Amino acid sequence: MEEVIDNSAANYKELLKHYLESQDEQALYGVEKVSKSFIKNEILPEEIINLHIQAMGEINPNLKADYKHSMNFLLEAMIFYGLAMQEIPLLKEEKHVLKSEISVAASMQKTLLGTTKPTIEGLDIGIISVPAHQMNGDYHHFIKGKDGSLGIAIADVVGKGIPAALCMSMIKYAMDSYPEESMSPKSILKNLNRVVERNVDPSMFITMCYAHYKPKESKLYLSSAGHEPGYYYHAQSDTFEEIETKGLVLGVSPDTEYAQYELPINKNDMIILLTDGVTECRDGDRFIDSREVLDIIKQYADLPAQQMVEGVYKHFEKLQDFQLRDDFTLLVLRKDV
Amino acid sequence: MEPQSCVNINKEWDIVGARQLGREMAKKLGFGTVDQARIATAVSELARNIYLYADKGQICFEVIDKRERQGLCMTAVDTGPGISDISKVMEDGYTTSGGLGAGLPGVKRLMDEFDIVSEIEKGTRIKTVKWIR
Amino acid sequence: MNLTVNVVEENEKSILNVSGEIDIYTAPKLKETLLPLTKVEGKTVEVNLENVNYMDSTGLGVFISALKSTKEKKSKLTLINLQDRVMRIFEITGLDDVIDIKAAIRGGNE
Repeated sequence: MEEVIDNSAANYKELLKHYLESQDEQALYGVEKVSKSFIKNEILPEEIINLHIQAMGEINPNLKADYKHSMNFLLEAMIFYGLAMQEIPLLKEEKHVLKSEISVAASMQKTLLGTTKPTIEGLDIGIISVPAHQMNGDYHHFIKGKDGSLGIAIADVVGKGIPAALCMSMIKYAMDSYPEESMSPKSILKNLNRVVERNVDPSMFITMCYAHYKPKESKLYLSSAGHEPGYYYHAQSDTFEEIETKGLVLGVSPDTEYAQYELPINKNDMIILLTDGVTECRDGDRFIDSREVLDIIKQYADLPAQQMVEGVYKHFEKLQDFQLRDDFTLLVLRKDV
Repeated sequence: MEPQSCVNINKEWDIVGARQLGREMAKKLGFGTVDQARIATAVSELARNIYLYADKGQICFEVIDKRERQGLCMTAVDTGPGISDISKVMEDGYTTSGGLGAGLPGVKRLMDEFDIVSEIEKGTRIKTVKWIR
Repeated sequence: MNLTVNVVEENEKSILNVSGEIDIYTAPKLKETLLPLTKVEGKTVEVNLENVNYMDSTGLGVFISALKSTKEKKSKLTLINLQDRVMRIFEITGLDDVIDIKAAIRGGNE
């Protein structure tokens, strides 16, 4: 540091002298370069003022006392700026630490909330879930019952990022504690609602759709806690129908009861479940409407379910210039047989 | 020069007195302008801590004259409430006064050596040294 | 994207005229105005959403916390003049059953 000051001191003095004589731009460009090297070497402002005082004293030994005092005054005023500057590298480092901690948390979340897509005979399943930021506020989970049935949860926590992710872990562990097969969608939601209501900040809430598919009956049982409605695709008529479900979001009122719906599923029919990250995609400033989502789904409907959801996601990712605004989750079930 | 001189801190005005004594001793010892200003600022911070949080205390200045080097030692002693979490007040950005870079971490940066001992309900002693370069 | 919130006091009732978009950035502003009002014992608060053309789930969160505080303080919350798009969000989430919502404007500004 001393060396930098010594080297630059001579340079600074020459430039200053030149400038006092001519006031030309070249000297100013020169001092710009010196100033860059000061910053690079973390020279503090009070040292630069001191350098200036020394240089002026040498250039002109007859400086007025007033001027000299004023420069010392300025030097004094710079001390705190110097202190504040020294904090910057530390703050940068802290930011870096936080950033890497978040990425550790994100990968932990992936492990904790991880679920594998099960194989169910006669059912083709496609699932994609992409977070808008590092942490995902959408959640989906598959539970394969011993009787060959399939439980599916799809949920969205209001808000994004870390609070949402923490909240999701709570839901997941609450669900893990339920005796899987004995529970119907409506009783699962009723239970979760109590857990959320007790444990979550008043402004936070979760929407969830819970579905239970029983292959032997070819029926889907389903309840919704204020979740974005899903769609039923009738293969025979080649039409989509909104699955009308009514139910209050989780976490608002402690004794909410949930209605349960029953859907018979025929060959090649599809069930589409999603989060509002799909239906609230924006095309420029315009929100797309649900019909457009269904049109796109239809375009990819000939593909196997997994390729289908991936194709739909890629379409909307491109539409939004590869900048997701909200977490995006899309799930498709198709009855093969 | 007296080998040791102390200033009592009871009111805000005393901070100025402490700065002045610190600066004079630094000047006589041969510190440059920048270091004089740094020492005065460090005195300010130490004295203000006493004034704000401990009601009263003392700052003592002592010339260190060793064969290999010379320096100024400042000791701030108060009988205030003490600091319960020293590592927290030494953390950057933690200043109750709200200023960037100030507080005890600032003093540590302005000086060359820094040592703090604090006991709850008894008080705090901060010893700090600046060496002549 | 911005949001304005004006409060009109009318007898015992406070009317909030909200206009703009309610999202994660603007919701805190609504919350700051709305929550203290619903925390007044026995107060009636009416929120006019006529000029709100977009609301996301953060906005719903604000109304849910307001609803919870009306239950604690026996105050009253009513939403009036909702545009279709906003109304739909209250319907999907089932909140139209627990929050007093009146006179939705059909069609909105679209």
